[in-house]
Formats: sequence, C-alpha cells, structure tokens
Amino acid sequence: MNSTVASEYSSEIHTTPIEHRFNPYSDNGGTVLGIAGKDFAVLAGDTRQVEGYSINSRYEQKIFNVGDDIVMTANGFAADGSALIDRFRNQLKWYKFDHNNKKLSVASSARYIRHLLYSKRFFPYYVSTLIAGLDDEGKGCVYSFDPVGSYEREQCRAGGAAASLIMPFLDNQVNFKNQYQPGSDGTEKKPLRYLELDEVLELVKDAFSSATERHIQVGDGLEIFIVTKEGVRTEYYPLKRD
Amino acid sequence: MNTIASQFNNNNRNHVHHEINESNGGYGGVDKLELTPTMTLPPISQPTDFLRAHTDDATNPDCKIKIAHGTTTLAFRYKKGIVIAVDSRASQGNWTASQTVHKVIRINPMLLGTMAGGAADCQYWETWLGTQCRLHELREKERISVAAASKILSNLIYEYKGMGLSMGTMICGFTKKEGPTVYYVDSDGTRLKGDLFCVGSGQTFAYGVLDSEYKWDLTEEEALYLGKRSILAAAHRDAYSGGTVNLYHITEEGWTYHGNYDVGDLFWEVKSQEKSFNNVDG
Amino acid sequence: MVTVRSESNLKNATMNHDPFAWGRPDDNVYGKYNQSIAQAKNNELDAFPKMHTQQPIITGTSVLGIKYKNGIIMAADNIGSYGSLLRFSNIERIIKVGSETVVGVSGDISDFQQLERILEELVISEENYDNQGENNLRAPHVHEYLTRVLYNRRNKMNPLWNSIIVGGFDNDKTPFLKYIDLLGVTYGSSTLATGFGSYLAIPLLRKLIPDDKDYSNIEEEDAKKVIQECMRVLFYRDARSGEKFTLVTVNDEGVKFEKDVEVTGQSWEFAKNLVGYGSKQL
Repeated sequence: MNSTVASEYSSEIHTTPIEHRFNPYSDNGGTVLGIAGKDFAVLAGDTRQVEGYSINSRYEQKIFNVGDDIVMTANGFAADGSALIDRFRNQLKWYKFDHNNKKLSVASSARYIRHLLYSKRFFPYYVSTLIAGLDDEGKGCVYSFDPVGSYEREQCRAGGAAASLIMPFLDNQVNFKNQYQPGSDGTEKKPLRYLELDEVLELVKDAFSSATERHIQVGDGLEIFIVTKEGVRTEYYPLKRD
Repeated sequence: MNTIASQFNNNNRNHVHHEINESNGGYGGVDKLELTPTMTLPPISQPTDFLRAHTDDATNPDCKIKIAHGTTTLAFRYKKGIVIAVDSRASQGNWTASQTVHKVIRINPMLLGTMAGGAADCQYWETWLGTQCRLHELREKERISVAAASKILSNLIYEYKGMGLSMGTMICGFTKKEGPTVYYVDSDGTRLKGDLFCVGSGQTFAYGVLDSEYKWDLTEEEALYLGKRSILAAAHRDAYSGGTVNLYHITEEGWTYHGNYDVGDLFWEVKSQEKSFNNVDG
Repeated sequence: MVTVRSESNLKNATMNHDPFAWGRPDDNVYGKYNQSIAQAKNNELDAFPKMHTQQPIITGTSVLGIKYKNGIIMAADNIGSYGSLLRFSNIERIIKVGSETVVGVSGDISDFQQLERILEELVISEENYDNQGENNLRAPHVHEYLTRVLYNRRNKMNPLWNSIIVGGFDNDKTPFLKYIDLLGVTYGSSTLATGFGSYLAIPLLRKLIPDDKDYSNIEEEDAKKVIQECMRVLFYRDARSGEKFTLVTVNDEGVKFEKDVEVTGQSWEFAKNLVGYGSKQL
C-alpha cells in the first residue's frame, strides 16, 4: 500500500504529500465482559455510547451474533469496532459458501480475527475484541484480543472503559483468586469449579451495576448474549441512566 | 493493456464512481490470506510517527492504543538440551492486562520461540515462522535447522526495521546437525547464536541468578529448577514481570512441557526450601 | 544485554533495550515522540503543518432529528458560515434521497455537496436501474452506505468533514433515525442532534422522549413544538445559527419540506442578565 496520501483522486500525482492534522480515532466508551462456563458462555456489554462527555445513545448494540453460534464484540472506537465485526461476519459467510456450509470453530475464528487485526498493525483498530462460544468439546470458551491481534483463550475477561474495575472482581469471583478455605489460615486455596449459568448471570449484573456507579462512560442498559448448545439468546436489563 | 483500458474506464474518470467503488472495497468477496501478508499503512507522510503517537504508552501515558508489553524470558543450553523458562504477565501501561499469557510459542514439535516485547508481533510472526518451517520441510524433505528458521524470522523482521515492531525472541530447537541450539532474534534485526540469554524488562534480575548458578554439566532437574528460579527472581523484582512461570525442556526428541507455577505459591515454597529471600518476612 | 552499549550501536537499535523502557521505540531511531499527531499536547498544535485540503471552510451548524408516532421530523437552518462570517444564508442542508428518506448534513458544505453527488449516483443505480417496482432504497440502506463512504475516507486520512443524520423508515416500516460522523462512528436514537445541538437541543428533545421506545406516543404537533423550541434556543446561543430553517416531516403520507420556517416566540429578556464577559451593561 502507498505510504503517501492516496485520495480518491488517485490519478492525480501528488508532488508533496499532504500533511494532515486529523485525528482518526475517538473513544466511544462502554465496557464488555465475557465468561465461559462448563457448557455455556456469556458475552455482556452495556448499551451506552459516548463521545467526550456526551451520551450519543442509550441503546446502541455492540455485541453481535456473527453466525455459527459465535458472539463477538469489539469495544473502544465504535467505527473500528463495527468495521471489524462486519468484516469478520462477511468472511464467515464466504467461508460457508466456499466450504459447503461447514461450521467454523471458535478457535479458527479467533485465529482469523488475529489476522484481521494484525493486517492493520501499523494503523491499528482501536478496539478490545472478545468472542465467545462453545469449543469442539462443547465447553464454553472466551477469546480475548489486544488491538493488534495477540490473543488468548480465557475463562473470563473484561474489556473497554471499565475493564480495570471489573477484571479484579472477576479474578476473585470466577477464578477464586486470593480466596482461601475458611479456617485454613490462608494456606488452603478455595478449589476451582465451574460456575452455573445463574451464578454467572448474577456476577455479570453485579459487575455492570457496580461499574455504572463508578465509571461515567458505563450505564443505560446491559445486554447479555448467552451461548448454549441450544443456540444464542439475549437478555436485557436496565442500568442507571445518570 | 489494463492501463490503456483504465484510461477509458468510467471509474477512473468519474471521481464519484471511483469513491463509491472504493467504499465497497473489502466487503464483497473473499479476502485472500496470503503467506506474505499485506499490511495497511496510515496514508500519511510519517506513518511511523503516527503509529508511535497512538501506541507508545511509555512516552505518552495518555495514548489510546496500549499494546501489551513487559516480560522476562530465558533460555539456556546445557549438556542435556535446552531449558526455557518464561513469566506470564502482560502489561499495558500500568495495567496488568493478563497474568496468564503463554510466552512460549510452539512453532512446531521440535521448535520453540519465546515472546518478549509486543505480544501480537511475537505471536503473529512466530506462527508465521511455523508455516515457513513446514513449507521448508515439504520442499526439502528434511527438518529445518534452527539456524535457518531463526534466519527466516530475522530477515522478515529486518524488512520491517524502523516501522515500529517490538520483539525480543529466542528460537530454540534441537537438530542432529546442530545439537541443542538457541538463537536470539530481536526487532533491530540482531540475530545471535549463544548458550544463554535472558530477554525482557526483567532480564537483569534473571541474568543475576542464572549466571551465578549456571554450568554446562547441570542435571536435568537442576537445570529446570535454575530456569524456574531465575524467572522467580525477576518476577519478584521487576514490576512488569510476574503471574506464573512456564517451563519447557528441549532434547533430541523435541520439546516437553514441564508445567506452570504460580509465582504466589512458588515464592513461599522456594523461600522456605532454600532459606532465601530473607529480605521478605514470613 | 547482548549488544555492546556504544553510541554507534544505539543508533542502529530500533528498540529500547533499557530495562526500564524495554521493548519501546527508541528516540535514536524514531526521532522524538511526535506530540502533535495524537494531539497529546495541544499547545504544540500550532507548530504542526497546516492541512490544506481538510479542514472545514464553509460550514453548516446543527441538524436536529426526532422520531414520533408516524415517522420522523428533521430540521436544519440555511446558514453557510465562513469562519465567523455569515457567508451564505440560502444553503439547503436537508436532502431527499429516494422516495422516503431524508439526509441532514452539518459541517463542511463542499463535502456535503460531494455527498449529494454520491447519493444521487446511489439513487440512480438503486431506485432507477434495479427497481423491481418497489421502493427498494430505504433509510437503513442509505445510512449503511454513508457509513461506508465516511469510514473509508477516514481510513485514507482524508475525511468528509460532516456529521449526518439519516431519517426515514426501517424495513419493517417503523421510524428510522441514525447518525454518522466524519470518523465513521454511527449511532441511533429517538432524538438526535449534531454539532452545538448535541449540547443545547438534546436535553430538550430527551425531555419529550426520555426513553427511546416512547417515541410511539408522541404526536406530530408535540414533536414539531419541541423542534421549534430547540431551534429557538440554538438561535439564542449558537452564534453560527440562523433565524430561518427548513423543517422536514417524513411519515406515511410521504416527505414534506417546509422551507423558511421562522424561529418564533423569541424573548431576549435573558440577555440583559448575561454577565461575566466584557463590561457589564447598566
């Protein structure tokens, strides 16, 4: 690709590159979180979209069912986020056309999204991306990505504006970090176990209502996508609108 | 032929048509995944300044896009093979983005690469290296040498020199011809063969422990412990290293994984066993 | 570290090897961090080279949009400003696209005219050539299309400097109202405003429709009344706004343009209480 300016008047020859003072990024706030269970996965996000101190919209969808029971979100700069999701959804469609409607696994989706993100390594998508679904064994899985495509499968992950508020809570409540057996004087760790769906939903609601209290860019509504072997369903809960 | 045709093509003469076609680009049809990837640059006169302005959180803590950073990794050769030990923390500015990063990249059953610097750069190019190694096997009907593999990577990195890649990696493997081999490759284009390397923000702490205890004739058990112990020292003293220790061992049979050790537990275990870390109460 | 630390070596390093800034870009290679690109430091902006092609020249101020029971209402004044000069007073900034969609544009007027040309092409191809006897081109399509055009321009660092509101009907015949800006950011709501309107008009509009879904209880007269109120408040406080505006109603009867609607019921009583800037008038 050209390293100087390519405008739509591409037949014109620029002798000097045009200097720009345009910031192509903005931050549209919002926060998202994904938790994987034994046979389910959830991906949740608030529905507020902001720009600066203004609330653009109190309901703007940012988690999507992209097909093949995979749910995806890309939180941060909204235009990059929807462009990334659109590109992935489109490619998934073409994959199915080209491969006799074969199902794309979540692991392969994650690898493909890495390529999408890394192809803009030098002009990055400003987003933190999460996908959730069921793996080949039917276990819940969540993959998280940094803006340029490094990724990891995890049990839980918060992304976006209030990630730093929610992630420590999740470490403690999902992975039982720093939790010990009562009476063991901090020597015996609380054993890990899969959380049930209703426990997870309660955690998600607590995480978001708490983040709403302490982060100005979070609020208005909570949309939760739940993936089980029956398919994808959504739930909506109102959050405080202040 | 096409250039002549394009003169008469409506799209090139009608800028509205041209803009419309441009806008639809990237959405229809299949994007081909080429083995040599194409990378979008910001269409401005100083693309590297642009990238840095938006991603260098060390200089500008307010920058929006924070790329995962910070690490201690080590690899050393000894009589029985190679030991590789790494921590598992990724930081974005002062935020610990993850405590569970796998910083050893399994290029193929015989080759391992370590990850320091930009997490995406290492993950991406070392998996890319995996495909190159496989292609080499198919073409040459023999396994690639560690020297060749590391050179493919360093040549690639050198093409991108000055563009903002950040990686410090060790390519480790065992071949009949070379024996246990470690190459250090970084984003400057440096490629060095050596017995012992520590890479990352916590490298100095790891070198301290490793250098004082290292000798060629270590037993396998001693060697693995030394690797683990060196990372522990770095995790203890370097704020940008921590989480857990991942341990690998390479012999002529290929690599074997020797477990994941939570620094929180490992520290107290080592302290009471060794009677070390006496600066810490408990 | 593996490289010898001499001056010449540092000049070749693209990566900072100092453990405290390990893996970050090195000033010796990349030059000083360019504060002006990410607007990390605003007082240096003046030193940054001026853009020749992309800054708004002739501009239009706020566009307002609101959903109601039977459709949507949109309003925008007719002023084209040249900086603080009121240069034109006959700019029509709301255009009809296809048979049941309207597009209101604020920001740069020349870019708006480019958008007009693009949309005209869209109408020709979608409404005339590909029409199967139905009105195929609806507001969501126009919105999606404009989003692609604007996002593509931002990717080229050559934006169309506008904020746009698209109004009309969704595929299921419910009212449709969505926003797009020069970055390609989009959002929908029952009440939308661009520019100054997002500060001055949105609170008034949201007072009428606090919850997005409640637009279905709103009568046309009430919606028009609040738009009139918003245009009045904007005329009071937005120095780039005008006294006459165009009011567009889209409902099941079609698209109705009311031109040269006046801002009514003005009361400048509040002006005498304005203190704090300049000397107080007695």
